Amino acid sequence: MTVPTARLESVAERPIALTPSSRREQAATVWYHLRKNPLVLVGLIIVIVWVLISLLAPTLAPFDPLQQDVSNRLQRPALFDSSQETDEEVTDATTHLLGTDELGRDILTRLLYGGRITIPAGIAVIIFGSIVGTLIGSLAGYLGGMWDEVFMRITELFMAFPTIILALAVTAALGSDIRNAIIALVVVWWPNYARLVRGLVLEVKTQDYVEAVRAIGAPGYYILLRTILPNSFAPAVVLATLDIGNAILVFAGLSFLGLGPEPSSPEWGKMVSIGIDFFDQWWMWLFPGIAIASLVMAFNFIGDGMRDILDPRTR
Amino acid sequence: MIPLLFGISLVAFLIANAIPADPINANLPPNALNDEELIAAFRAKWGLDEPLHVQYITYITNVLQGDMGTSIKTRKPVADDIRQFLPATIELATLSIVIGLTMGISFGVISAVWQNTVVDYFVRVFALIGVSFPVFLLALIGLTIFHSELGLVGGPGRLDFIVRDPPKVTGLFTVDALLDGDFDKFRNALSHLILPSFVLGMFVSGIIARITRSSLLEVLNMDYMRTARSKGLSERVVVIRHGLSNALIPVVTIIGLSFGNLLAGAVLTESIFAWPGIGRYMFRASTAQDFPAIMGISMLIAVIYVIVNFVVDILYYFIDPRIRVA
Repeated sequence: MTVPTARLESVAERPIALTPSSRREQAATVWYHLRKNPLVLVGLIIVIVWVLISLLAPTLAPFDPLQQDVSNRLQRPALFDSSQETDEEVTDATTHLLGTDELGRDILTRLLYGGRITIPAGIAVIIFGSIVGTLIGSLAGYLGGMWDEVFMRITELFMAFPTIILALAVTAALGSDIRNAIIALVVVWWPNYARLVRGLVLEVKTQDYVEAVRAIGAPGYYILLRTILPNSFAPAVVLATLDIGNAILVFAGLSFLGLGPEPSSPEWGKMVSIGIDFFDQWWMWLFPGIAIASLVMAFNFIGDGMRDILDPRTR
Repeated sequence: MIPLLFGISLVAFLIANAIPADPINANLPPNALNDEELIAAFRAKWGLDEPLHVQYITYITNVLQGDMGTSIKTRKPVADDIRQFLPATIELATLSIVIGLTMGISFGVISAVWQNTVVDYFVRVFALIGVSFPVFLLALIGLTIFHSELGLVGGPGRLDFIVRDPPKVTGLFTVDALLDGDFDKFRNALSHLILPSFVLGMFVSGIIARITRSSLLEVLNMDYMRTARSKGLSERVVVIRHGLSNALIPVVTIIGLSFGNLLAGAVLTESIFAWPGIGRYMFRASTAQDFPAIMGISMLIAVIYVIVNFVVDILYYFIDPRIRVA
């Protein structure tokens, strides 16, 4: 039996139509909460700045991130070292504001380029992890019964492994590069989403409007994809945004352990791990470390604020 | 619990085996890779020439008999390796949890009691920093300040180079030194233990502070809190006895769940502090594709995870009288 799609949508997806004035009210509410949670604003600004820096890295960076200059290796950061001003060698155009690494590559340049790897990697982990998790969780919740049991036992199995240990095992087996590090993190990331989405689907499944769509005669996949999922998606999206910081942190950890991008790549975790061998040349590990921390912190500021906004109990 | 362990062993086994990586490349010297005879002997020795399901069944039978196989990397039985490396991690993890709990709960309470004040704000930002700073950055900053600059704590490793290990009883150097009556050695072990424990504890305390705060805030609005106050109890008794003890349940849950975080942090912390524990062992095993060791550690961690969550369930019983009644 064919079902007029337009009618289904009007039943399923727009239980309450948003009038223009309520949209304006929504915007006002958002602004109100942003003002009450300045940390969210700070977080947003930091994230936007990092994204812009990453996009514009080739124009902003004073050097080439891979260009070696062994005669200028391990230079102290010019920014913090006034004694260098008198040094005749540094008076030319080759000042390295944040110093150079063991091969004479400019730290500042590599920092600016680092976000181009870390930010997409973190987002990719979240996107693929949430897709896999949503798929499994929604099937478990919608089908119920035996399928629910099977899917959820598998999910618990993966949750019982500590994140980095499982990721270590996977990257070690696949070999270490960026793609495999992302795959490893997706393997450890999806169970959270599977659990969350299953719970949401179970809740939405019993709503009257789902019953209404079923009464019209819509097929199962339609009910799941067009009616249940869109209505249970919001919390998963929220979890996803809160989670990007975590994903970036674990990705940096993996790459710090040597299980991420190749050694020469200007990735922050990698830079810190190389910097450890040059412990006294603190600029080699401190700046990339702070870059990771600032970005993760910004995401956590946003996440923390969002949680406050959404959960009135902690206000 | 038993099915979970079987499931975990199966997942670990599949990950270790079903993926196109060859332990031969990782474990034989490059000049031996052309020697067919050597490679065949290596495969036969580790059972790598059997079909997968036979390998798995052999493995499970051996584990049930207490034999976790022999590590390809260290050439010692995995069970022996675990016995050797586990105490160092237990020592580190225990002190970290104590530090993390003390800092986390006190910060959480302070932050909830003085909600929306400057104090609350500072504590929350501090907690956010705790969960946002990569463990390795905290470790490096800590080493620079407290070891290199101030010389207050020992550097990487469990003891100074010239100090010999205390006679092994528990494998926890601080405890063993005390049992031996050697206070200098105890101080030395403690000075090496304190910084990695703080780094790891910071990492956990952020999460605990956050949960304690939100849980206590919820409890503080309850009717029975007003009752307690109107009985004339002092604010301290109200917050600690009536508030905190009711707010602890989610905190205990989080401790069980953050165990995974702790282990993840331990891998990083141990690698920076040259701490000869399970995390470092696991990391080395995984880079060498040492499957018996990876399997062994995965099983061990799964068992610990199950035990920790069992202990958490028992803790509920003590914290929440309602569970005792039911």
